[in-house]
This record gives sequence, C-alpha cells and structure tokens, in this order.
Amino acid sequence: MGRPDTPLQALDLGKAFLTDTGEELEIIRSVSFALERGEIVSLVGPSGCGKTTLLNLLCRLIEPSQGAVLWNGRESDGVPPGVGYMLQKDLLLPWRSAIQNVMLGLQVRGGATSEHRARARELLDQLGLGAFADHYPSTLSGGMRQRVALARTLAPEPEVLLFDEPFSALDFQTKILIERDTLRLVRDMQRSLLLITHDVEEAVSLSDRVIVLSRRPSSIVSEHRIELSGDRSNLIALRESEGFAHYVRKIWTELDVH
Amino acid sequence: MFTSSERRTPMKTLTEQDRRTAALLARRRRRIQILLCQLLCFVVLIGLWQWQTETGHISAFLYGSPSGILAALIAAIRDGSVWTDLATTALETLAGFALGNIIGTTLGLSLWYSRFVSQVLQPFILALGSIPIIALAPITIIWFGTGFASKVAMSTLSVVVVSIIIAYKGAMGVDPDQINLMLSLRASRAKIFRLIVIPASMTDIFAGLKLTVGFALVGAIVGEFMSSTNGLGHEIFKAGSLYAISAVFAELVVTVILALVLSSIVTRVERWLLPWRHDLS
Repeated sequence: MGRPDTPLQALDLGKAFLTDTGEELEIIRSVSFALERGEIVSLVGPSGCGKTTLLNLLCRLIEPSQGAVLWNGRESDGVPPGVGYMLQKDLLLPWRSAIQNVMLGLQVRGGATSEHRARARELLDQLGLGAFADHYPSTLSGGMRQRVALARTLAPEPEVLLFDEPFSALDFQTKILIERDTLRLVRDMQRSLLLITHDVEEAVSLSDRVIVLSRRPSSIVSEHRIELSGDRSNLIALRESEGFAHYVRKIWTELDVH
Repeated sequence: MFTSSERRTPMKTLTEQDRRTAALLARRRRRIQILLCQLLCFVVLIGLWQWQTETGHISAFLYGSPSGILAALIAAIRDGSVWTDLATTALETLAGFALGNIIGTTLGLSLWYSRFVSQVLQPFILALGSIPIIALAPITIIWFGTGFASKVAMSTLSVVVVSIIIAYKGAMGVDPDQINLMLSLRASRAKIFRLIVIPASMTDIFAGLKLTVGFALVGAIVGEFMSSTNGLGHEIFKAGSLYAISAVFAELVVTVILALVLSSIVTRVERWLLPWRHDLS
C-alpha cells in the first residue's frame, strides 16, 4: 500500500473528537487519496466539512482515530519534514519585517542567516515585493501580506504544500494574481500542492485533480481529473474555456449545497 | 503594480500638501487648546484654594495651602532632604519593580511550557494575588528588617503576582494557528518559545510594566510607612503625624513627579524596543 514515490497518501483516514459531554463527534469518516509528485490536487467540500481537521491530520498535528497518513510511503512519527503549511490567515509576525517573516522557516531549520536573507530576498523579488522587504506587516495590504506568507511557505523548499483556503479572504483581482504566482512557483519548483478550498472555480482552474468531500462526517463523493484546453496559467481565459463550466457545474451538484 | 498612487500630477501634489498642512495645523491648534484648558483648571483650583485659606473659610492648618506647600517644597530643596528622600524611594521602587517583574515575567512565561503545571498552580497564584499587600508589611519587617530590604520586598510583592498573571496571559494568548505553523516547520518547543511566545507577549508585558511601576511605588511607600528613617513615604508619615499638612502635600507633589517620570521612562523604553507597534506614535 505504501508507495515510496508518492509524497502523500491518506489511507482510510478518519477522525472523531470526544465532546465535553462524552459524545463522539465524527468529523471525518473515511478519506483515502494520493498526492503524486508535481501534482496539484484540490479538496472541495461544503463549509464545516472538516477540511481543516483533515489538513491537520495530514501533517500530523493531530492523531487520526483510524487509518494512516503515509509520507513517501512511510508513516511519519510526528510532523514530517518538507511540509509547507499555509492558511487563510497570513500568520505574519507583526514584530518582524516582511523579509524576516520570510526567513522564519529557514531560521527554524538553522544555518547561516546571510543565506536565509539571500533566499528570502530572491523570493520576495519573484513575488514583486522586493521594495517592501523591510516593511512591517501592518503597513502592507492584504494581498501583499498573503504574498509574504506565500514566500515564507516556499522559502524552505517544502516537498508538499498544504494550503487551507489561503486565497479566500482576498478580492478577486488580487486572488487571481497571487494564484497565478503560486501556480508558476509550484510548477517551476516541481512541488506537490494539496489545496483545500470551498471555491469550486478556484479548484478547477488550478488543479490537476479535484476531490469532492461530503458534508460532516466527510468522505469522498467523487474525483475529477481536470483536463482543459489552452494555457493553464491564464486563469481568466481558462474560466471561459470549453469544459470549465461543465466541471464547475458538476462539482457544484455533487457538493449538494442547498 | 503598487505605484499607481505615486502617479500624481504636480498640481495635485501641491493641493494635497496644502490639505495635509492644514490638517496638521488644526491638530496642533486643538492640542494647544486642550493644554490651555488644563492650565486654566489647575490655576483656578489652586487660586480658589489659596484664596479660601487666606480669607479663613478653609483652615490652612487642616487642609494646607498652596503657598504653604510651596514654602515646604523650597525648604526641603534648600536643606537637601528632598533629594535623599527622593533617591531612597526611587531606588526602592526601581529595585522592587525590576525584581518583581523579572521574577513575575519569567514565571508567567515559563508556565506556558506546561499546561498541567499552570493549571495546578492557578488557584495558588490567584490566592496570592488576592492578599492585600499592606497586610504583609509586618511580616516583611520581621523577615527583612527595617532597612532598605523590607521596602524592596514590599515593592516586589506589590508587583510580582500581577506580573505573573499578565505574562502568563500574554503567553497563552498566542494564536494557536501560529503555534501550528511553527510545529509544521518542525520547530522545537524551545524555538517556539523564543521565536513566537516571548516576542508575542511583549505587548502585554509592557502593559504590565506600565501598570506595575505604580504598584512598585505604592509598595515602597507602604514599606516606609511601617518603619523607616528616610524616603518620601517616611516624610509623608512624619509630617502627617505632626499635622504639617502643607509638608504632606509637598512630599506628595514630589511623589507624583517621581511616578510620572518612572512611567514615562517605561513608555519610552517600549517605543524603543517595540518599533513595530505603530499605534504608539
């Protein structure tokens, strides 16, 4: 079952919490999927379907009640190395400048500060934030802050990126721009990306595959391989392309949102 | 992409500049108005007080008088006693403030390490916090003697519990998602503590410092009330026993100045250490 070449596998993963009144609250019933190298997969589900719990299970921040998570075919003891974790909240540290925030992951890992700084500077430049390296987060716009968070996530060159609705708080234009940059960097760096979102259009436009989750307790409803004609990096034109609306409509129906 | 706001015509920049200058002027005018009103209130109150004591409607013997306070102040400055008293109390306060906050902040922050230990200790900390510090004064004299040490002990005790609670609250107030982010980077608890918990608690810790600088002064003065040979509290107590009301007020004025100076030092240090807190300026 464990495939050493597959960065991330979830096998019959389930999670139930014990409430204060002693009841079992089942959040995730059974979820199995694989994330292959260089692949972008989205998990979409109705709100409150335990997407964040699933993400925390995958990076071993919480223990599953059943099933297993395999990283490169092996069960990891604690948080596995090479995880890039990004949330809707940018989680920038207000007392650190943009560049110091980007350096956080590198600093945790250790090594020479000058190298960290060079790497952070390079990423900020690539994301068009070179001029804002020494600004504190409080002086940056929401989109800029999320770009800094993206740079912080990518700086340690994680093998697998786990994104929990990182773009959902942004306005449409900012979102498209940062999605495009994410796509470019993820593809260039040959990383695997698991994107958790409730935005169906976002999922279809960015992903190689979309997995649809049911409402709580969640299990997998369906899986779609997204095949679209045209330039996959042009996220606006893609929305007009043949097939896009078809995927979106089909997934919407499966989401069973009333 | 971010430069659109810089593309302004020179004409528009000029009017923008004018508007800004006008707004700044209005703000300054308002500040001056407030200052003038404050000055007026002070002068009127002091004037009324002086007038009423001179006409005999208020007893200067029981309530003191502004001229009497000024005379007492000048006398204390002339014979140099005000400086030794001020230095004594300031030193006691600073020692208690530093000791109390170092112990309190260290304990409070390190409680973050173990939820279990912190839950075990919670009722004890709350019990300690509910003791009126003045009730401990007789014991501190027995334990630490009648000199400098017992005042520092009183001052430290006034500070330490508040300091523990504030530092602990600050440490526990760190966003759990922030902790998860650090865990996802495989950071050790020590690194999370150093890189996140300590700096994130700084805002709370400085709020605590501003609060406890006053408590430290109260502790030192209460200590001096119990037994002392000099210090502002000693002079206030002595003058009060002798019905030298103006002298009491004179020493109070010095005490208030000391409190203001100490808290403004804390504010300045905060601005210097936490430059990212833009709302302070």
